Amino acid sequence: MRLSLTTAFAAATCVLVLAALFMVFVYVPTEATQGIVQRIFYFHVPCAWVAFLGFGLGAIAGAFYLFFAQQVWDDIGYSAVEVGMLFCTLVLITGSLWAKPIWGTWWTWDSRLTTTFILWLLYAGYLLLRVIGEESERVARLAAVVAIVAVLDIPLIVISVRLWRTIHPAVLVTRSGEHGLEDPRMLQTLAVSMLAVSALSAWLFWMRLKTVRARSRLFQLRRVLAATQALRNGAP
Amino acid sequence: MLAGFRALLHKDLTLERRGGRVVVEISVLSLLVLVVLVIAYGPQAGQRPVAAAGALWVALILSGLSGASLAVSAEHENDCLTGLRLSPLEPATIYAAKVAGAALTMAVSQAATLLLLVLFFNLQFDLNLLRLIPVLLLGTFGLCAISTLLGTVTSRLRAGEMLLALLAAPLYVPELIAGVKASAAVLGGASLTAVVLPLKILAACDLLFAVCGYLLFEYLAA
Amino acid sequence: MNHLSYLFAAYSIIFLAVFLYIILLWRRQAQLEAELLRLEEEVRELVRKMAPPEDGRPNVT
Repeated sequence: MRLSLTTAFAAATCVLVLAALFMVFVYVPTEATQGIVQRIFYFHVPCAWVAFLGFGLGAIAGAFYLFFAQQVWDDIGYSAVEVGMLFCTLVLITGSLWAKPIWGTWWTWDSRLTTTFILWLLYAGYLLLRVIGEESERVARLAAVVAIVAVLDIPLIVISVRLWRTIHPAVLVTRSGEHGLEDPRMLQTLAVSMLAVSALSAWLFWMRLKTVRARSRLFQLRRVLAATQALRNGAP
Repeated sequence: MLAGFRALLHKDLTLERRGGRVVVEISVLSLLVLVVLVIAYGPQAGQRPVAAAGALWVALILSGLSGASLAVSAEHENDCLTGLRLSPLEPATIYAAKVAGAALTMAVSQAATLLLLVLFFNLQFDLNLLRLIPVLLLGTFGLCAISTLLGTVTSRLRAGEMLLALLAAPLYVPELIAGVKASAAVLGGASLTAVVLPLKILAACDLLFAVCGYLLFEYLAA
Repeated sequence: MNHLSYLFAAYSIIFLAVFLYIILLWRRQAQLEAELLRLEEEVRELVRKMAPPEDGRPNVT
């Protein structure tokens, strides 16, 4: 039985995700101070990572679209931002579910949370533009510009909100410069989760890109059909 | 390039001087925002520079976004933007002139807003107000730079004003945070040297938005 | 809600969201492919009608 590359990748992703879940719920020891709710961390952090990756790819694809004016770059940018937004939303939700038992509040205007929320708002605007705006080059170019300016604005957002104190845990790099995962199994679990979520996001990106490419092809065909009909009606 | 910039700026300012639509509309919007906020804050409003600073920046953003929409949409009447693009003027020159025009128009409106702020929040006509001017000018320029760039396209879309606000406001957040901090400090009596960091952030954002606009405007004006 | 509930809620939401997104993409892809096939057929039909007839007479309908 010949397997397509996509099917093989999907199967590998499923295996990785199952392995990550096994490690999160069975293999890794419970953290001493936070208890079992700390296990949210093993998917929360990879979700943040792929969200930022998605937005970064969206900005690069946007720049290429403006420069080369090829539809494929616009499609890549749109798909990357949409998948990035899915994982950014999951970051905020899982972060709140962790924060409630640990900090006693669903939300606080801490610098890390504020920055992530602003990022979420930025790209929510991008997606709304895509949904509300007509299907045209003009809207695609604006979306590309928004993606580029948003990515360049992120360091400034981070600096400006760091004028406030942060209570967000520094786990991966603590304030003394080392990582805060005391057991090697924690680091291993995080590594596998990172791989699993990255593979999952890559697969979702690929699926989304297929639909976006199909939609672009659809609009292109409609234009060809309209032009051909106009030509036929105009012919003597 | 400078001649083209001056000619375009002169055109926009002359139109505004004759019609006065943008200045009046954004001044009225600023007034309404300040009134609503003073009522919402309650009787304590006059005792807190932070409240005044916050109200000032809310008025700035809301009126600025509205003003930018009006200024850019004026170019869509009779397809004037296409005419500008067909002229020998470079897109970057058109962008620079548009931003300068919007910033000057907003500056006039903000003079009125500052006056209202003093009246509503029981401030004094003193040196603190003068120190506020560079903070406001930096904030105004950044808002005009980003909203002119984005407004070029959003003004032609349905729900364009909402889209402009949704796209520009999150991008403007670093300026908003730095601007409110600097304004509150200055209204509380701090000198400009005490607010160097927020001023640097304002300047950095202005530079980022101006450079992005300068480089990317031609792709949106096409 | 105890800590286990928060943990369960977090992972449930992650996988539910991903699962729903996959379903949404799968359905959208199926709709797009059907529409694409239909349009391609329409374009082919139109081009065939526009082609000059083999006997040289004008293609007038």
